[in-house]
Amino acid sequence: MKTKNYVPKDSAGKLAKGFIRNPLTAVLGVFLLIIGYLALEVMPREENPQMVVSGSTVIIAMPGATAKEIEQVIVKPLERKLKEVKGVEHIFGSSMDNFGVVNVAFFIGEEKENSNLKIYDKIMQNKDLFPKTAMNPTILPLDIDIDIPIVSVAFFATDKNMAPTTLFDYAKEIQHHINGLDNVAVTDLKGGHKHQYNILVDLHKLSGYNLSMGQIAQAVQSVAYNVPDVKNRTKENEIIMVGVKNAIEDEKDIANIIVAQYMGAAIYLKDIATVEDSYDKQNFKSALVSVKDENGKFSPLQEQVTLTVSKLQGTNAVIIADEVKEELLHYKEEMAKHGISYVITRNDGERANEAVNELVFHLVLSIVIIAILLTVVLGWRESLIVTFTVPAILAITLFVAYLTGQTINRITLFAFLLSLGLLVDAAIIVIENIHRHYHDVDAADRDPDELMIEATDEIGPPTNIATLAIILTMVPMAFVGGMMGQFMKPIPANVPVSLIASLFVAYIFTPYLAVRLLKKPEHHNGGEK
Amino acid sequence: MFKKFEELIHSGLQSKMKKNMILIGSLVAFLLSMMMFPAEIVLAKMLPGKNNATFNIYVDLPEGSSIQQTQRVSECVVSYIQKEKEVLDIEVFLGMGSPLDFAGLIKGSHFKMTENLAEVVINLTKTHDRDEPSYMMVQRIRPTIQKNCEAIIPKTHIKFVEPPSGPPTLAAVVAEIYGNSDKGIRHLAEHVEKIFKNTEGLVDIDIMQDAIYDKYEIKANSIKIARSGLNLKQVNDILYLAFEGMGIAVKNSVEYNDQIPIFLTLSDETKKFTNKDKTAVRNKLSSLRLMNQRGMMVPVTEVVDIVSVKSNPMIMSKNLHKMTNVLAETDMVSQVYPLIDAKSQIIEQLANEYDITTVGLFNLKFKEKSSGETYLLLWDGEMEVTLDTFVDLGGAFIAALILIFLLLVIYYKSFVLSGIVLLGSFLSIIGVVVGHWVMDLFTADTFFLTATSLIGFIALIGISSRNSLLLIDFTKSLIQDKGMHKTDAIAYASATRAKPIFLTAAAIILASTLLASDAVFGGLGVALIFGTIAAVIASLMIVPVLLHNSDLDKHFGFVERKSVDIDNPDHFV
Repeated sequence: MKTKNYVPKDSAGKLAKGFIRNPLTAVLGVFLLIIGYLALEVMPREENPQMVVSGSTVIIAMPGATAKEIEQVIVKPLERKLKEVKGVEHIFGSSMDNFGVVNVAFFIGEEKENSNLKIYDKIMQNKDLFPKTAMNPTILPLDIDIDIPIVSVAFFATDKNMAPTTLFDYAKEIQHHINGLDNVAVTDLKGGHKHQYNILVDLHKLSGYNLSMGQIAQAVQSVAYNVPDVKNRTKENEIIMVGVKNAIEDEKDIANIIVAQYMGAAIYLKDIATVEDSYDKQNFKSALVSVKDENGKFSPLQEQVTLTVSKLQGTNAVIIADEVKEELLHYKEEMAKHGISYVITRNDGERANEAVNELVFHLVLSIVIIAILLTVVLGWRESLIVTFTVPAILAITLFVAYLTGQTINRITLFAFLLSLGLLVDAAIIVIENIHRHYHDVDAADRDPDELMIEATDEIGPPTNIATLAIILTMVPMAFVGGMMGQFMKPIPANVPVSLIASLFVAYIFTPYLAVRLLKKPEHHNGGEK
Repeated sequence: MFKKFEELIHSGLQSKMKKNMILIGSLVAFLLSMMMFPAEIVLAKMLPGKNNATFNIYVDLPEGSSIQQTQRVSECVVSYIQKEKEVLDIEVFLGMGSPLDFAGLIKGSHFKMTENLAEVVINLTKTHDRDEPSYMMVQRIRPTIQKNCEAIIPKTHIKFVEPPSGPPTLAAVVAEIYGNSDKGIRHLAEHVEKIFKNTEGLVDIDIMQDAIYDKYEIKANSIKIARSGLNLKQVNDILYLAFEGMGIAVKNSVEYNDQIPIFLTLSDETKKFTNKDKTAVRNKLSSLRLMNQRGMMVPVTEVVDIVSVKSNPMIMSKNLHKMTNVLAETDMVSQVYPLIDAKSQIIEQLANEYDITTVGLFNLKFKEKSSGETYLLLWDGEMEVTLDTFVDLGGAFIAALILIFLLLVIYYKSFVLSGIVLLGSFLSIIGVVVGHWVMDLFTADTFFLTATSLIGFIALIGISSRNSLLLIDFTKSLIQDKGMHKTDAIAYASATRAKPIFLTAAAIILASTLLASDAVFGGLGVALIFGTIAAVIASLMIVPVLLHNSDLDKHFGFVERKSVDIDNPDHFV
């Protein structure tokens, strides 16, 4: 009753038939695994998925204006103008004494460069709107990739007598080296103090000598004057350079400036003020650190300089963080000699790598558990076949994700874990049907290839429809808006790919492997018919 | 084993009562599980907290506080943190934000540049080596630190900021208060703040507005200035130079990257006012003198008046409307329930002062009884994102149902069959809800129904419709090709398909067990595990009953053929 040459009706059977005796099938399998592995290694790793968030901050200063004045003449007109820009979701204005700030947040998903340009354009077109006394607007575009550092390092002095500026100078030195590494976008220093000569005038002495602050300022300004070398010629027209030495070389020069003459006696700056070669005392910002030593005790809070490093968009946080770490190790000994130590206070690369590795481990563990289950229910050969299809499907998905410019992050891997439960299904259904047909009594005298193709073909249509149904459930998820939509984008982007891949792999490789691995059972009661 | 199952179904299908019992039973189960939401047995939250290796503490002193005061409070915070075993290092950033992170980006940490603000970054040991999750630690140390360190300077707010497990928000609960009068907004905001403070589950409450503090304004008297032969600019400059200081010149340097500024100011000892009194200010200013055009020295106090005034607080607006935020974080609970509590408290407690009406779902409109001014309270922050996300995911779910329905209609060319498949899939929601309830019973902290649970549920629709599909498809081929009777065909198909259905379900459940242990994706895992169990029951019990009730013979063009052996339909007797 069964024809010798089974003609497949569904694409499932056609695929099975086309590949079951094709020598390239094995090559294709190996090739898939290789590209998947390469994609896993090459794809940038991050902890959180990339989000397209655009926005700008506009700051306009008008010294001397009160908050109310700023609101009326700067913030309100600016808000109105920015409201004209398309794609803007929210505008936040804040008016303070002396300056106004307007924050523009675009809808999530609005392209960054375009949005920045729109804001810049709008403000430049309306520059005449602002009062004459207002300063030029400062526009700070938001750039998630560059604004959020992936590594931060705190440098601190182990030598208690170190001048506060030495640490800063050293950190600046290291910053320059780290900025030179590949794919490093922005490096920045937080905390620390810059060099500065401070003239600290004693108010009592000032009034005692009957002097004003203005006089001191003038006196200092008149000597602190730098001129380039003077070029002159001799009578033979030879050039002679005459360098004019700067009057101020160190703090002593400043201290010896004559501020005024009183009854013929000179009043030096040092008479009324202390002059120190020190740091920027007016800068109230500072950073402190406390680290745990080997004995588990915390050091008291001490001054530190934090170096932050951010990466270019789409680059691998893991690699950059490791490079920064290595570069720091390079200078570690030299720093120790200078009495400087450091501690890495943020390493997103390491965090991303840990998250990714943990999830990859979970994936492997899940595959093993499923393999054990199948071994118990269907037998080890069948189990082996299904287990092979999983890496093949994941490899295809990874490669497609790589081609579409995605990164490996927590959510991508969750998409994989979610699809893992779904993508073995196609293979299980095919292998179960093959198993059932194989163990059927009439299977004994039939060609295995034939059986495979028929078994695959039989469950083709419902499996296709069912898989299509699952894909359809994922599609609307791609249209979820807002931050959350962006955040879970990897799920609708990857699950459908893996499901489609699971169909192809199930139809191509399952019969191919089954025909080679499965043994027909001996039907002792074969003649029962 | 499957034989028995086949008999069971076969007998079940033949008794009308048993069929009805199954249907009514599933309806009751569905209604009971739905009841768990209003009864607050299963709680919803956008995303649960995640165990982090780092968290921040924002120290906000009232406006006008000095950096030294800020440092004192920060040192107090650090002294408590230093007692923690699992802390590796602590960084304090005074007068600025810490290196920017995801949460800080939304909370405006990069705009911090005043003396009254500081941020503390705390790095913990790796999550694997630590028993206590970071959110538990925060919950434990928060009361102690707030109690002891906020008291140092009154009106200080100490906030604990953990990296969010999903998209960052300004705060868990944000009440935006809109209105036209600054004073009225401030007044209403303070009311709301007070109610938040008395609402259980809300912590780190703060109003996003500057405190108003006393300050002195030095008013230059232009007549006196002109008479003394001075000019206004000179007076302003000198005052600034004396107390704030200015870089008056630079020196180039070969050693350093920057020019070295020469900075002029009064020395610290002589600069400081003796106290906050107006006379102290006057005394200090009187020793500061200016030189006029004729070379005579004029004390500053001769040409200025000192007036004590209030500071100008920052004016904030959102989308061109004047607004103030009242912020609160939640203490390991979902923001939904405290928000509802707070809302009803607001309506109750402020009824004397305002006429309050509810706008939309949660928003409130106030009309002040005394003045007739209207104010609007809109909820933002995590609540807004949660609502948006749940609404969007709900929409995605409905869209998925419609798409599947259409697909099935195309495939089966029958509305009834497609409806059965969908109904069977929809019942998996019972498993999802019950699963969350069971998990909540077994976990120490609340197990929330989250956005990821919804994603799991949407995926489940597809998975369980596949089960029903395989079943119906097989029944169809039995009826069409083998000419089996409806009851026999359904029973045989259910029994034969039970094995792959169980297998695929087991695969999904096993693959999801590891998901279930994750903080963020636990909801997805639980939804998949329990939803799949429900889906298996639905497709093997309820779908056969529904199929049997429908006119299958018509759909599949049943033609009576030879009689078929139930046990072995492939073999004709």
